[in-house]
Amino acid sequence: MREFLTRRGAWLLAAVLLAVAVAGVLAGRDRPTDRAYELEQRLRCPTCQSVSVADSPSDTAAAMRVTVAEQVAAGRSDQEILDYFRARYGFWVLFDPPARGATLLVWVLPVLAVVAAAALLVVAVRRPAPAEPLAEDERARVYAEVRRLAADDGQDEQP
Amino acid sequence: MIAAAIGWTAVLLGLASSVVLAVQGLRAQRHPDRVHRGQLRIAVFGMVAGAAVAFLALEMALLTDDFAVSYVAANHARATPLLFTVTSAWSALEGSIVLWVLVLAGFTAAVLRGVRGTGDRLGTGALGVMGLVGVFFFGLVSTVANPFRILAVVPPDGPGPNPLLQNHILVAFHPPLLYVGYVGFTVPFAFAMSALLRGEAGPDWLRRTRRSNLVAWTGLSGGLVLGAWWSYEVLGWGGFWAWDPVENAALVPWLAGTAFIHSAVVQVKRGMLQSWNVLLVIATFALTILGTFLTRSSVVASVHGFTRSAVGPALLGFLLLVLVAGLGLFAVRGHRVVSGSRPESLVSREGAVLVNNVLLALFAFVVLLGTLYPVFVEAFTGAQVSVGRPFFDRMAVPLGFALLLTMAIGPFLPYRLATGRVVADRLRLPVLAASAAAAAVVLAGIRSAAVVVAVFLAVAIVAGSVRELLATAPSRSLRGLLRLVRGRRGYWGGQLAHVGLVLVALSIAVSGALAQRSSASLTPGQSVPFAGYTLTYEGQAQRQLPDRTVLAARFVLRDGDRVVRVAEPRLSTFPNQVQAVAAPSVWTTPRQDVYIALTRLDDQRAAVNLYRYPLMWLLWAAGLLIVLGGAWALGAHLPIPRRLRPATVAGGGPSAADAAPAAAPESAEATVQPASGGQSATQGQVPADA
Repeated sequence: MREFLTRRGAWLLAAVLLAVAVAGVLAGRDRPTDRAYELEQRLRCPTCQSVSVADSPSDTAAAMRVTVAEQVAAGRSDQEILDYFRARYGFWVLFDPPARGATLLVWVLPVLAVVAAAALLVVAVRRPAPAEPLAEDERARVYAEVRRLAADDGQDEQP
Repeated sequence: MIAAAIGWTAVLLGLASSVVLAVQGLRAQRHPDRVHRGQLRIAVFGMVAGAAVAFLALEMALLTDDFAVSYVAANHARATPLLFTVTSAWSALEGSIVLWVLVLAGFTAAVLRGVRGTGDRLGTGALGVMGLVGVFFFGLVSTVANPFRILAVVPPDGPGPNPLLQNHILVAFHPPLLYVGYVGFTVPFAFAMSALLRGEAGPDWLRRTRRSNLVAWTGLSGGLVLGAWWSYEVLGWGGFWAWDPVENAALVPWLAGTAFIHSAVVQVKRGMLQSWNVLLVIATFALTILGTFLTRSSVVASVHGFTRSAVGPALLGFLLLVLVAGLGLFAVRGHRVVSGSRPESLVSREGAVLVNNVLLALFAFVVLLGTLYPVFVEAFTGAQVSVGRPFFDRMAVPLGFALLLTMAIGPFLPYRLATGRVVADRLRLPVLAASAAAAAVVLAGIRSAAVVVAVFLAVAIVAGSVRELLATAPSRSLRGLLRLVRGRRGYWGGQLAHVGLVLVALSIAVSGALAQRSSASLTPGQSVPFAGYTLTYEGQAQRQLPDRTVLAARFVLRDGDRVVRVAEPRLSTFPNQVQAVAAPSVWTTPRQDVYIALTRLDDQRAAVNLYRYPLMWLLWAAGLLIVLGGAWALGAHLPIPRRLRPATVAGGGPSAADAAPAAAPESAEATVQPASGGQSATQGQVPADA
């Protein structure tokens, strides 16, 4: 058992278990989602402070939830429903800023930042230059110092 | 009236003392022989006395119903209960700045304790910078945010504190803890500025600020967790984090501060990442000021928004000053603090910390971008846009995943370079355990990717910590384990905090993916099934308390015929306030939280939102683990040997002797401090760590 748990056996077992987990997750992807609830989470309640229509207790939000439910039942697409609310309340009612015009930057900048971060990581790590072999006298000096330090160590107080 | 006079005089005392401290401290840095430590001591004492007396005077005015004082007239009512009277000292703008200066004075006094004489130029410079910060905040209290103004016409009663701040005892803990976090980061900032002014490199400033860094970080973490808990228990919208601008304003400095405390360890042990540390501490401090500005100026509308006042522009001005001074100083003197060496490989402990720095900086940038973007768009184009939860979630989830992955691998990597064999050896058992857990969860029926991934990471991190514990303990007994975690408190406190953090992530994933929610509108006697129970609306009850009217809706949860819970979500109305406050009913059990929030209540019907959150208690327990981890790391107090203590030149004995010890377990093995203190010589380094 112990040998099996070492090295290859363990990795193999881990791979098998991971495959089971991934297969299970992928198989469960086609759940019916509550479209109305997800749309409500993307709309902002006009009378509250930064709460979504899904979570807001106000009357306006309740009325909007009814509208969303009706439109989902009528078969309109997500984008059509969002456009409907945007036409009535303005861009402000959408929690997701549109990816164009003035708000394009808010989507683009994070991507640029990730690229910059990756570049930074590549640049920040510097491989040490290959070491040249020491001259004979330098090498003797190094060994002498190491021996001296090793002798010193016995006298230092340890924390 | 007397209280107001005393209070305002005390504020002026504090202001004057801050000016003296700033001048003398900075002067002492340049000419140590011209200033005596006693002068600095008196200045700090003046700051502390001024802040303490001002705070006490404010409390006295509140407790004696002194409505001649402007702050009391605006934020207090005769009927307010004792607890909320005491906490109303910080529930509104002016009072909260008084609390800020009190905490600042406390930290300044703590810094003074570590400065043994004016020969300690790093310390005196730091005191000077803290004096400058004190000048700003005391100046703010004495002018624009003055709570002690006397009203010509004394009102008989007041409106009382904000109703949202009268509902829960957490108001006594959340703001003070947050302020300990915010203000605490002034200390490393002051030391960094002092080090830059002196042009000195080296980890001295990090060693001396280790304690305050950890106190600040732990306080900020605790404040954030309590804020989430408050949002959940009090605000009643069913969640604990809304990516609200004020929440973000506290999160962003926490992210920068977390990067800083990790990066500081690498500098102390390996002398690397020095520029990162200076920039990170400037960023963290600036972000705390920005956070205060966002909270106080309501420039982005939010649940926390206070009324507009001139404090906003003042804070903005101070923020600009901090950025210009800090970054300017770094630009001019930065070349002296650049590390001599860089990480050799990303697959190493310092490489992992570098990756961690970059990820956290990215996270902070994205959250800040989303929070401030509507402000900029409105300023430049006049259009109103929203950046809300979907944006933040989309950014936070991949970044969080990357951070957790780094957390699972990084702490177990050796320094300098890790070969593939070493990494594989150390990861083998954690990955095996994590895969088994993920498979088990999937086989148990959970199909949500978020939950499965979170379980995988949680088990990987816990298993990795356990493996490291067993592998590095002196002996595999309880005694050996205890010796290990007591001997390396910094590392193991960090591991505990990591475990807490990944459990927070797990809890967020579980409560997000496996939650059930519905809503119902019930007449008295009507029932609806929910969460495996039957929920029946019994009726409403009205209670009249001295300071409020409480309208409660009574619900009964039954399991079959047996009553398991009586829930009473409430609506409170206050006589002098328009806004009614809804308080949800939260029933916490080990399996789940059943959360009932009233949306509407009248004579015929009660409308409620119902939520079922599995394992919700885990979030708060994990938050506690994070705070405990920080506290454990704080507790290291091994003295460092005399030969490693930096000497000082004039005006006092060995400096930093007791402020440095906390870093001893890490530093004693890793670096040897040259005996001539404070020069920008390169450090002798012993290649670290086994």
